[in-house]
Order: sequence, then C-alpha cells, then structure tokens
Amino acid sequence: MARTFAWPSAGAAALLAALAACGTDITTPGHCPELCPQNSIQLADTLLASPVLSDTSVRGYLLVREASYLLASDLDSLKSLVLLQFQPLPTKWTVGTDSATLGVVDSVRVSLSVLQRDTAAKGLRVVFRRLPARFDTGATYDNIQPYFADSTLWDTSAAGEIPDTLVAGAVTLTAPDTLQPLAGDSGIVSLGIALVSGTPTALAIGSGAENTGTTGPYLYFYVRGHLIADTLHRDTLSKVLSLQPTFATFVMSPDPGQPASGVLAVGGIPTARATLRLGLPKEVVDSNAIVRGTLILSTLDPVGGFARDSFLLAAQPLLRDNGPKSILYPDSTISGVTWLHPGQTGQVQLDITRLLRLWGSTTGDSLPRTLVLRLVPEGRLLSAVSFRGAVSGAGAPQLRVTYVRRYAFGVP
Amino acid sequence: MRRGLGLLAAALACAAPRARAQDSVFGIRGLGFLDEPLTGRSAGMGGGYAMFDGGAATSPASIAAWTGSVGWAVGAASRRSFDPGTGTQSLTSTRFPLFGFSTPLSPRLVVGLTASDYFDRNWSVEQSDTVALRDSAVAATDATTSAGGITDLRAAAAYRVSEQWAVGLGLHVLTGSAVTTVRRDFPADTAYHSFQERSSTDYSGVGLSVGAFVAPAPALILGASARFNARLKATSADTSVRIRMPVELAAGVYYAPLPSLIVSSTVRYSTWGAAASDLVAAGQERSRDVWSVGVGLQAASLRMAGQTVPLRLGYRWRQLPFLIGGDALNEHAFTAGLGLAAARGHANMDVAVELGSRSTGVLTERFTTAIVGVSIQP
Repeated sequence: MARTFAWPSAGAAALLAALAACGTDITTPGHCPELCPQNSIQLADTLLASPVLSDTSVRGYLLVREASYLLASDLDSLKSLVLLQFQPLPTKWTVGTDSATLGVVDSVRVSLSVLQRDTAAKGLRVVFRRLPARFDTGATYDNIQPYFADSTLWDTSAAGEIPDTLVAGAVTLTAPDTLQPLAGDSGIVSLGIALVSGTPTALAIGSGAENTGTTGPYLYFYVRGHLIADTLHRDTLSKVLSLQPTFATFVMSPDPGQPASGVLAVGGIPTARATLRLGLPKEVVDSNAIVRGTLILSTLDPVGGFARDSFLLAAQPLLRDNGPKSILYPDSTISGVTWLHPGQTGQVQLDITRLLRLWGSTTGDSLPRTLVLRLVPEGRLLSAVSFRGAVSGAGAPQLRVTYVRRYAFGVP
Repeated sequence: MRRGLGLLAAALACAAPRARAQDSVFGIRGLGFLDEPLTGRSAGMGGGYAMFDGGAATSPASIAAWTGSVGWAVGAASRRSFDPGTGTQSLTSTRFPLFGFSTPLSPRLVVGLTASDYFDRNWSVEQSDTVALRDSAVAATDATTSAGGITDLRAAAAYRVSEQWAVGLGLHVLTGSAVTTVRRDFPADTAYHSFQERSSTDYSGVGLSVGAFVAPAPALILGASARFNARLKATSADTSVRIRMPVELAAGVYYAPLPSLIVSSTVRYSTWGAAASDLVAAGQERSRDVWSVGVGLQAASLRMAGQTVPLRLGYRWRQLPFLIGGDALNEHAFTAGLGLAAARGHANMDVAVELGSRSTGVLTERFTTAIVGVSIQP
C-alpha cells in the first residue's frame, strides 16, 4: 500500500512543478505582414486655428495684502510704495511673576527680509516715512503721496543702504530715536517705505502674510523700564520689544485695473486669470486617443518679472464654470504647465494632453470644455504675462492635436 | 483519494483565469490557434488513441469505455522558440486545456461533460518603428495583445449496444471571449503620451457530434465520428459576424496484437474551407480544409516499484486551417509518455512530452510541451 502511494507523491511533485510554471511569456517581435495585426495604429495631426469660442480675464484672485511680498519700486513702468502699520508698543511687560513698566526707548531698529532685488542696481536705499498711525487702509498711490512728499515728515534716508551684494536675506537698519509712537497714537507706529536708487529698480521684501511662508518687517524697540513695585521708578530693566505689522500692503501706479477686453492677462498683483472656453471637434474631445495636445499662445508684451526669476504658467481644467468664481479641477496633475522667463516674447506652448484626455474620459465627460490660465504659485514677485485673445486674428490661441484615429479591431 | 482530489483542485485553481491549451504565434490569424486537447495518454501516443480515449472530446462514443464515475484534468506547459528573422525568441506558457467528468447511469448508458479548448487566442506582438510627427521622426513601439479563446463544452451520452458495438451522441456549446489590446508608446519622446485601447469579442455557437465503435475482432476496434457545427457568432461592441463552421470527420483504429502492446491511429478531416468566404468578408485570410493524422503505440513493458508502467510513443501531423500570409501552416510532433497508477488504479497520472514544430513559408515555431493528465475514479 505504501508502495502504491509513492506514485501520487511523485505525481504531485511533477504536477506542482508544472503549476509552478504558470507564468506566461507570449510576446514576439512582429514579422510583418504575416504575423502582424491586420490593422495598424494610424496617427493624425491637426492644427485648430480657432479653438477658443470666448475668453475673459479677471484680476483680483489674490489681493495685494495677501501677497507674499511687499514691493517698493521706482521703475518708470511701475512705481510702488510700501505701507505698514505695526502693533502698538506695549507699555508693560512681565518679569517673572511681576510686571515692568516702560520707561525710556533707547533705540529702534527695523528689520526687512529682502526676497528679490536687481543686483545691477547699486546704492539701493530705502526711505522710511512716518504715516498717520491709523492711515486709510484703502489708500491709493495717489492719495498717499502727501505723506511721502511733505518735508515735515520723518525721513530716515540716512538709515543705511541695502548692500550691493545682497540678493536676498535679512537687512536690519538702525532708525533714528525719533521713530517712536507719537502721543495720542496709542503706541502705534505706521511707516511708508519708498525706494531710492541711481537707476530705476524694484525691491521685494517679505510680507509675512498668512500662508505665504515669508518673514515680514519687524520693529525692534530697545527699551528700559522698572518694576511696578519700584516706587523710585529706576529704569534699570532692559528689554527688546519686537513688533509685527498688523497691516502691510503696497500701492502702485499705474493701478493694474481689470485687463482690457481681448487680452489674456495672467499673474501680476492683484493676480489675474484668463478663462478660455473651447469648441473642439468630436474626434478630439470624445476620445482618449490623444497622444499630444499643445495650446499655442502668443505673448502681447514681454513676460514680466524679476530677471532670472522664471515661473510656471498653468492651464487648468474647471470643475464648474461659474465665470470669475469658477471652481478649478482639484487634481493639479492634470494641468498643462510650462516655464516662462522674464523678457520672453513670441509663442508659448503648453502641453495640455492630460487635460484633453480628461475631457475624453468617463469621469471628465461632464466637465466644461473650459480651461483657466494662471501662474503657479500665484502672487509671485511681479510675475505676469499677457497673451493675445481669441479676437486677435493671427495671434489668437491655437491648438495642435496629435491623436490616434479610431482603431479598427475587426471581428472575429 | 483525497490527495488525488487535491491535485485536481490545484490544477483547477490555476486554470481558472486561463484554461487554454498551447499558444502559438500563428494564433494571430483567423479564429485563433486551433486546439486538439488530448489526455496525457493520447498525447503520449501522438493523438493516435484520441478516437478511443474516454477523456478526449473527439468521439462521444468514447465515454462508453468508463465503467465507473471518473473525473479528469490535463495541464500542459509549453516552451516555444520562434525566429522572425531578428533572432530567436523564447516563449513559455502553461495551460489547462481539458477537464471532464463522466459517470454510468446504467450498465450500458454513460454520460459525461467535458470542457476543452477549441481555439486559443493568446498572443502578443510587439513592433518598433519611427513615425513622422510634427516635422520630426519619433520612435514608437506598438504592442498588440490578445487574451482569451473559445471553449468547447460538450455534454455526451454513450450507449453500449453490445459487446461489439457502442454509439454516442454529443451536444456542443462553443463559448468564450478574447480581449484585444493595442498600445503605442513613444519611449524616446516624453512629449508624446502613450495610447491604449482594448476591444472584447464574444463568441458563441453550437454543435452536434455522433460517434460509433465496433469491435470486429477481439483485438481490433474501429471507430468513427462526425461533428456538425452551426455558425459561430462573433460579437464585439459594434460589430457582429457569423462564421460558417466545419464538419469534422474522424476515423480510428485500435489494435492490440499482444496483451501488452497497443497500436492506435486516428485520422481527422475538417471542412474548414467553409469558413473562407466569411473570414475574407471580415478582413481575414481565407481558411482551408484540413487533415490531421496521429499514430502511436503503447507497450506495457516497464516495471517500476512493483507496477507495470506503460510506455508510449507516437507521431502526429496536422494541417492548420488558417493561412499565414497566403501560405499553408502545418504542424508535426514526436511524442513519448508513460502512465502511472495509484490507489489500485483509482488514481492515474499520464505524463507525455511532445517535440515538434509548426511552419509556414520561412517561418517556423518549434515547441516542447509537457503534458500531465490526472484522472480520479472513486
């Protein structure tokens, strides 16, 4: 009996060995025409000269006060001033379990975080002006001018220069003793910052705005005081009080305003986005057979921004087309992106293959055939670009699509 | 017994996703690669025993040989080499082409079910080329893959009319599907995205087979069978075609001049030319009528571990119905095998090896196939 059951054991081993080879490799190089499929993949390439049915550009997606930077500029094309309102200077501070009372201010220093500057512009100076403690936060470049022009205002032009070698980093300037809260201002100091240089240029400093990851301006008050219990008021206690802005913005001239009709304005501050509503042939939209789709745009002006500070232009699909308040499609990997370089002119090509494929898929079928042009990230240093719109004739947006014609599988 | 059933279960588990017999690069044409599923015993005898093999689906009368309930399964692992002119390509596949069950309902009447491969449509072809796109030459790689096939489900009944006569009747249902996937990649240019599309085709059809055995002498059995098929319906998402199917005729002889020696041969003829016009209308190459011949012998001369082990040798040759580039495709193989019994004959395993080739024009595919068949008789 035991002898006969040896055969199933050997058989099991043989069968298991066969089963272990369950893997399959059946791919062969094609030997055409004998052993190739009856039909082959056919590609088509077409240039859609007028794929955009309508376009609009709206500015205001990211406001100046939400930007990561504050801009001081004396460029001919753009003049801007920085406006800062700091936290009130406290009159008391805690010392252990006791409190101290502010006595005298020994000195004041201002710290700025330089984000970007043109190193070709030498002898860069920042000029601080005292603004009314509670200045109008809706101030414009024009109506803030008196505070920068009136010679009776405090001028800190002697505070120091921005080192010519500095591209980015913190700069701390010593302010005159007069930079203290004025009586009746409840300890609030407000400052305006202008830029003075031999050649027109611009300086971007960190705003410290929420979610921007930047460090804003600081005021450091080096003070002395005394414990409240000290009836002799001997100001023997030293303290450095650092104050952040409660409001930080900048005003510009000319005001960017809303983009002109027929212009695809993207970026800048407040940031602009351009919306393109496309009319695409059935073979382009209703298929996932697109292997390459390129949106071709023509710049209206040279790309704006700091020299050598390239940035990304993105074409992003929409979840809902509600005009300026449209909802962007949440998956940013679908977007088409390309780098733009300040000063760049001519054609800009965006690969929007994934976007077109999304529209051809089951999940993307119900999405509006609309895309939004925006910068990534938005609100970046002076980055802006304008393209010719759909009514621009020769410079209007075009779409070049390479796709696979319907494949004839054949039956049987 | 439980061990034997476990083996069968293991075979079934692996077979579930792809119960197919031999693949071939030539399956790309026509309805696919025509299978002739054989048991391990028949395979070892070059298919010569197929007409009389109760486990094979050649003749419905063959299940009359079973005297008790029996279940069987066959697995086949194949290694192929193919040279398309750019170097030899090694290919492998493992399939489970045949399952069956049979039981007597009375001393004379036996019924059975078999599931066997009819057409195999597993193949994959890859081509590289350069295409002109946007005023540039772009490297492209195309891969076309087919997965699936057509299975022949047969319900058969056989009746032992007398000691000399047996007849059988089989009802066949052809069913299956194949998924074809085409893919183009641009390996050298990331600006172009890959394209992939797939299509599924479902197949359905029915057939009827009859068979008879007669034993004119104690050591001689003659057999014949005929199978008649209705048109095969092939349906994809937007197309449906009907293909005329052949009449399949087979005849066989079984001769045992000595108790330990069996010689057997089976010859088949199928009118696949009937499908030619339908295939051409569907954009395929035409088909042709085909012959198939198998001859083998079994000698029970080897003794191992106290048992007599039958040794088998055989040769088979056949024509395949679908032309390749206008040329005919033929196949031949030398075979050898042996049979192992356990549990007093309640569990049997037959092992066979085939060495062969199939060729058309200048194209040749060589193959080595190991076939393992297991049958369990409770």
